Amino acid sequence: MLCLLFLIDASGQVGEVVKISFRTVYGNKAIILNDSSYMHEIDNLIKFESLKFYISNINFYQNESITYSEKYSFHLIDISDTSSQIILLNLPNGLDFDKIRFNLGIDSTTNVAGAMGGDLDPTKGMYWTWKSGYINFKMEGSCSQCPSSNRDFELHLGGYQYPFYALQQIELETHTKRNLNLCLDMKKFFSKIDLKKQKSIMSPSREAVSISDQLAKCFRIE
Amino acid sequence: MKKCVFLLLSLAFLSFVIHESKFTVPVNFPKPIYDFSRNTLTEDKILLGRTLFYDPILSKSNTISCESCHSPFSSFTHVDHSLSHGIHDSIGIRNSPALFNLAWQKSFMWDGSVNNLDMQALAPISHPAEMGSSLNEVVSKLNASTKYRKLFFGAYQDSLATGERTLKAISQFLLTLVSANSKYDQMIRKELNFTEQEKRGYLLFRKNCSSCHKEPMFTNNSFENNGLPVDIKLKDIGRIKITANPSDSLKFKVPSLRNIEYTYPYMHDGRFKKLSEVLNHYTNGIQNSKTLSNKLKHGVVLSSDQKADIIKFLLTLSDKEFVFNKNNQFPS
Repeated sequence: MLCLLFLIDASGQVGEVVKISFRTVYGNKAIILNDSSYMHEIDNLIKFESLKFYISNINFYQNESITYSEKYSFHLIDISDTSSQIILLNLPNGLDFDKIRFNLGIDSTTNVAGAMGGDLDPTKGMYWTWKSGYINFKMEGSCSQCPSSNRDFELHLGGYQYPFYALQQIELETHTKRNLNLCLDMKKFFSKIDLKKQKSIMSPSREAVSISDQLAKCFRIE
Repeated sequence: MKKCVFLLLSLAFLSFVIHESKFTVPVNFPKPIYDFSRNTLTEDKILLGRTLFYDPILSKSNTISCESCHSPFSSFTHVDHSLSHGIHDSIGIRNSPALFNLAWQKSFMWDGSVNNLDMQALAPISHPAEMGSSLNEVVSKLNASTKYRKLFFGAYQDSLATGERTLKAISQFLLTLVSANSKYDQMIRKELNFTEQEKRGYLLFRKNCSSCHKEPMFTNNSFENNGLPVDIKLKDIGRIKITANPSDSLKFKVPSLRNIEYTYPYMHDGRFKKLSEVLNHYTNGIQNSKTLSNKLKHGVVLSSDQKADIIKFLLTLSDKEFVFNKNNQFPS
């Protein structure tokens, strides 16, 4: 019994900390909330008021086989909270990996499992109240040339049931890097969507799924 | 090592006993759907949930509690009001459902919008025509209250209120609301016999109603269009709003008929005050449409004597012991 405890303790101690940092940028500028200087088109400037999303189920791979899988892997990345943008993982010593896979959003099993704590606590503002389900990605803001008077874009992307299952799996080559700097480029995203048409999404839908797919393509490793 | 195993076994046995004493599956009921392993019932958590259920602190203006629309004396619904009431005298769009046997429900709300009992309370807390608040606001009020910090400490050995703890405690109390001692249950358990009229009503019920209102829960947990014409003002189209699937148009959850004597008025918008009106709807009022329940496509034929027999049977579903159970009432 003692022996077993020692081993568990030891494996916890001996590991190597790998840091994953998230950065949200607009082209080559880091995104700062409520700063209205991100140019969407000439004379059309964008301002972000809120930007947060879930990263879950982080897995490391080497030659296509899984080498590390984070347990209870749910992280809310919130641009207004710098500490949320860093994930520390305790990997076994000397573990090799050449690829990382993770989900953008919350899987369907977790969506039906009842109340959860930590980053999944419904007080985090990432859970719909009129209909059960996590919001995978939330972005609110305005643009100077958009017609509406109040908020110009409000994207609450989620949905855990087919045909509107919005969860996205993201796969990135890591090569030999230990600490990973992940970057989400919103300029790339805004170049793919029509802000005039898709400025307000507040429920699971076909559109929410296709926009989530576009978002997933805007992540890269720096 | 042996000692450890013994300790573990006795702990397992103890938790089994605690679990059992708080929640027992009635002999004639199926296995519950709620996953108790994620939220093991304890006396202190149930008390916290019960206190929250009866406390208007959950609403923005501190005026509306869960009980406002779910009174224990009417099997936890709001009698005499067809639509639910909320803060600032606002009126909702649906009839508040009765609360009992929730551990056996697959989804919640008339349209099934809520997928787990834990998440149910979020909807009324946040709805502007119900409590008009938010879980964040509720949690900060609870953390500012000495009374609740004590109750949370008792329940979680930590006085901090969180969203998860608040919601799970409410679930704990709701799960204890088990209604299984009606005359019908006693008849099934062979403790008494039905009268001749109740027996006739029971047979007619089985022939005409029980495919949707399936025994022993008196619901099959499905969504059906029972042929009610759409209310012109409310324009409520039901479950399609949740699934965006045209085949769900005009469908609402099949409610349990247990305690139906106490839960008037009836239907999702409370349009019928009496059971006789409900039966008249099924025999004479069904409106055909694409999504009308298959079980109603050929109509329901009942004489007025047969309707009276069915009503007599429905009254055997009343569970007085449940409705007047002091353990379910305002905590003293």
